[in-house]
Amino acid sequence: MGRGQRFGIALSAFVAFAVGVTTALSLLLGDNPALFGNQPGAEQLAELIAAPADALLRLATIVVALSIVIGIANLLYVHAGKLARGKFYSAVLLASFGFTVFWQVTRPGDTSLLEAAQLPIESALAALVALSLLHGGSRVLGKRADIWGLLFVAVVVVVLLASAPLAELAPLQAWRDWLMRVPVGAGARAILLGVALGAVVAGTRALLGQDRSVRG
Amino acid sequence: MDQTTQQVLAVLFVFATVVLVYTARYFQRRGRQRALRRIAGVERVGEWTKQSIEANRPLHLALGGAAVGEDNTAVALAGAEFFHHLVERANASDVSPIVTMSAASSIPLGQDTVRRAWRSGDYLARAQWYPPDIAYAAAVTGALQGEDPAAHILAGSFGPELALMIDTAGRRGQGSLAVSDRLEGQAVAYAMADEYLIGEEIFAAAGYATDDGRAQADAIVLDVWRALLIMGVTIVLMLEVAKRMPWLNWALVLSVSALLVVFGLLIYRRHLPEGDG
Repeated sequence: MGRGQRFGIALSAFVAFAVGVTTALSLLLGDNPALFGNQPGAEQLAELIAAPADALLRLATIVVALSIVIGIANLLYVHAGKLARGKFYSAVLLASFGFTVFWQVTRPGDTSLLEAAQLPIESALAALVALSLLHGGSRVLGKRADIWGLLFVAVVVVVLLASAPLAELAPLQAWRDWLMRVPVGAGARAILLGVALGAVVAGTRALLGQDRSVRG
Repeated sequence: MDQTTQQVLAVLFVFATVVLVYTARYFQRRGRQRALRRIAGVERVGEWTKQSIEANRPLHLALGGAAVGEDNTAVALAGAEFFHHLVERANASDVSPIVTMSAASSIPLGQDTVRRAWRSGDYLARAQWYPPDIAYAAAVTGALQGEDPAAHILAGSFGPELALMIDTAGRRGQGSLAVSDRLEGQAVAYAMADEYLIGEEIFAAAGYATDDGRAQADAIVLDVWRALLIMGVTIVLMLEVAKRMPWLNWALVLSVSALLVVFGLLIYRRHLPEGDG
C-alpha cells in the first residue's frame, strides 16, 4: 500500500470520525436547555449544540433524495452491458424506459401509463407473493422438522382459522387475540430490541471511523 | 423518564459500547480469543462459497431496502461487512458475486464491497439496483436467471416480497440464507429459507465469516449487551412478580436465579463449537 493510499484511508477515517462524533453528540445532547441547568444562555447553548446535527441530517436527506439518479444510471449501465451480450429482456427494459420518458415529456402529469401498466403488473405480482407464501408455509415442516417448526405451523393454523368468517370458529378468536398480543408481541419486541442493540454496535463502529466503508 | 435522563443514559450507553468494543478488540488482539457461540445459519455459507468457486457460478448477495442515510443505515453497513468477507472468500472463482439492492443510496456501498475484494473486472455492473419492494423481488428473480447463482445470501431489509425470491431460488435448486430487520421479512425468512439468521445476528454475521479479530470482537460485544439486556428484563420481571406474590422471598428468588444461571451456562456450553467448550 502506497503512502498516498494510506493518507487517503487516514483522512477518510478522520472525516468519518469527526462527522460521526459531532452528529452523535449534537443529537444526544442538543435541544434540551435543562441539561445545562437553569443558567442564562442555556437555551442558546442547547440550540447551538443541536445545529450541526440538523445541518448534517438535512444534507444527508438531500443526498439520499438525489441518489435515485444514481439508481437509474446504474440500471441503464447494467442493462446496456447485458444488451451488448444479447440479452433480450434488457432490450425490453431499455425500450420501456425510453418510451416512459418520452410519454412523460410529451404528456406531463398523465398517469394513464402508470394505471394501465404498472399497477396491474404489481397487483399480479402481489398475488404471486401470496401464492409463494402459501407454498413456503406448506413446506415449513419439511425444512424445520422440530418443535419450533411445529409450533410455527400450529400458530399459523390457529390465526388463519380464527380469521375465517365462520361462526363455528368464533371461540378461536380469543386464542388468536391472545397469541397476537402476548407471545407474538413479545417475540416481535425481542427481535426489534436485538436489532436495535446490533445497530448501536454497528453504529459505534462507523462512528469511530472503524467501519470498512470509511476505511478506504 | 424525563428528556434529560434519557439523554444522559443514551450518552452513557454509547460510551459503554465504545469501551466494550475496544476492550473486546484488545483481548482478541492479545490472543485471548473467546469462541463465538454457534449460529447454525452461517455454517452452510462456507459450503456454498466452495460450490460457487468449483462451479464458476456467482453468489447473489442482496441488501434489499437497507439504505445508507435512512433508519436502517446500520443494517446496510452490517450487511456490506458480511458480504465483504464472503466476496473475499469467493475471489478464487472466475465469476464475481452480484450485489443487489433496492435503495439507490446503497449502490456505492455495494460497488465498494465488490471492488475491495474483487479488484479485477467490471465491479460497477456487479452491483445492481432495482426499484423497491415487489418490483425488486420480481426483477431480481428474472434478471439473475441467466447468471445462475450458486446461492442467495439475503441480508438486509426485506418485506413479504422475500417469499418470491426464496421460492424461486428453491425451485432452481439454489441455496438461500435470509435475514431481515423487518418483522414480515424475518417471518418469511424463518419459514422459507434454507438457512436463516434472526434479528441482531445480521450484525454478528461478519464475525463468523472471517478470522479477523475485530469483527469477532464486535460479535462478542453484541452477545454481552444481549446477556445484560436479558438479565435486566428478567430482574425487572421478577420484581414485578414479587409484588403480586406475598409468599415470595429472597431465598426462593436466589435459588431460582442460580438454577437459571446454571441452565443458561449449560445451554451456552452446548452451543459452543466443538473443542472450545
